[in-house]
Amino acid sequence: MPGHIVRATVPITFAYKNRVGHALEQYINGLKEKKILGVKCPACKKVYVPPRTVCSKCHKPIDQMVEVGQEGVLKNFTTAHVNIVNGEITGVQQPYIIGLIKLPGASSLISGIIKTPSVHDVKTGMKVKAVWKETTQGDYNDLAYFEPA
Amino acid sequence: MKRNVAIISVGYNGRFVSKRPDINIPELIQPAVDNAIGKTKLKHDQIDAYVVGNMHTFEGINQPHLWASDHFGGSKKPVMRIATGGSTGASVYQAAYYHVASGLYDVVMAIGWEKHDEGDAQVGLMGILLPEAFSMFNFGPDMSEDRGIAGLGGGGSTGGAAFQAMSYLTKAHAGIEHIDRVAAMMRSNAAKNPYAHLQQPGCTEADIAKTPIISYPLRYGHTCPTSCGAIAMILVSEEKAKKFGITDRVAWVKGLGSGASDATTGNIIEGQITDPAEQYMCKVVSKKVYSMAGIKDPRKDIQVAEVYSGFSHQDLMWPERLGLVDEGKSPQMLDNGSFAIDGELPLNPSGGVTSTNAIGASAMVRVGEAALQVMGLAEGGHQVQRKIENVVAHGWGGLFQFVTVTVLGRTPVKK
Repeated sequence: MPGHIVRATVPITFAYKNRVGHALEQYINGLKEKKILGVKCPACKKVYVPPRTVCSKCHKPIDQMVEVGQEGVLKNFTTAHVNIVNGEITGVQQPYIIGLIKLPGASSLISGIIKTPSVHDVKTGMKVKAVWKETTQGDYNDLAYFEPA
Repeated sequence: MKRNVAIISVGYNGRFVSKRPDINIPELIQPAVDNAIGKTKLKHDQIDAYVVGNMHTFEGINQPHLWASDHFGGSKKPVMRIATGGSTGASVYQAAYYHVASGLYDVVMAIGWEKHDEGDAQVGLMGILLPEAFSMFNFGPDMSEDRGIAGLGGGGSTGGAAFQAMSYLTKAHAGIEHIDRVAAMMRSNAAKNPYAHLQQPGCTEADIAKTPIISYPLRYGHTCPTSCGAIAMILVSEEKAKKFGITDRVAWVKGLGSGASDATTGNIIEGQITDPAEQYMCKVVSKKVYSMAGIKDPRKDIQVAEVYSGFSHQDLMWPERLGLVDEGKSPQMLDNGSFAIDGELPLNPSGGVTSTNAIGASAMVRVGEAALQVMGLAEGGHQVQRKIENVVAHGWGGLFQFVTVTVLGRTPVKK
């Protein structure tokens, strides 16, 4: 019978507190000091940024923290037109760029917001540098964005 | 034609504990993997494939294998993830066995873990219990104002298990004191296992009886903890076991199987509410497994049992359903000392699930502990001293209605 659909509400709210882990903790603490840290595999010399605890190539535990450069090359990017807020898709006031950046000394790419005067100015291969929040507090957002170098 | 398969190594990440805020999930798994490999002459590269698993919803990470594969050595290797609730670890182990027995792979690693401190296990369990709640709609309980949920799941899964405990006690003419007693034995067994979570040396029936009731006849002291821990095992073909020269210190997989009855706390079979302590599938599966293992009389041929008991009354129930003890006779076996580590049928020398429960690991820990008993490598004083030929390991999960059974032994089944 239309209009008589019975639904049951499930009175459960899921809450999770996922640990960032030993290596990421050091990375985030580094951001507070405006440093970008990676971890170097003593065997293959690969530098993972952000750091992790094992080299997937050599299967060796790795803990040698190294600081990498803050001026790198934009290797890839996308333009975000929506955000997800509490599971709902919402529009953004202005599209923004999320890039993948190769920093000097790093073997991997890290992602970051790219700010340019216009989104049309962004090109793969361009040089970008890290811009920090004035007051850092040990948070991912301490590294505010990357801008053209 | 299936091949013989041996477990050649069992590794833990360390002692299981309630909270590991210092590390994340891959960091929890990695030491168990390294520990298992470190006990052999193998290198990480020599693992052909991985089967892994943990509980769904508990940490809120639905595909943890994507994240963790790199850390356990699964990068560029075949990786399969399995989740069957509480029995996950045993299902993972069984799939690892199939990998090798089928002839597709020679050396396979099985990994089970849980990091309970990252989510709310009771909330996670409620998510799992909901299909049961909806199924129960068909049988009439009032679900308004959460009442039905409270009846089935009050205090998390303890509410559901309470019906089973009550049924068991009634049929066995036993009392809550028997559950207290077996709970105390498990906690003191755990004190002899360096990897166990709740280690209470000399724990007594009175210690357990002091804990508050959650859902009669189950009290706090009868329930499993929520632990953080990981286990890794290496399974190899008979040929590889010979090649590695390790055939004398391995546990041979002699039989294994699994089965499911209908959902709803094992309460319902073929659409009828029945007895949650019946556990019909456990009887069916264990018979099948014993015949596969060439065991004619399990009471004579099996020396140790590692059963999966999330709640202490199940430590009395499972040995009966597994055909190791006459129906209703477990309380007597407990009282006359038969279930003790030096008894006639040592039951959970490890301390069992009520002492240590990293849920995605728990059912594999039963298999791992069975393997260690066969190998004679159980540490810290929980190794059974009398001669062991066969050990049975049991897993329990799904919606209280999924069961796994395996028999490990000192010698492989003759082809």
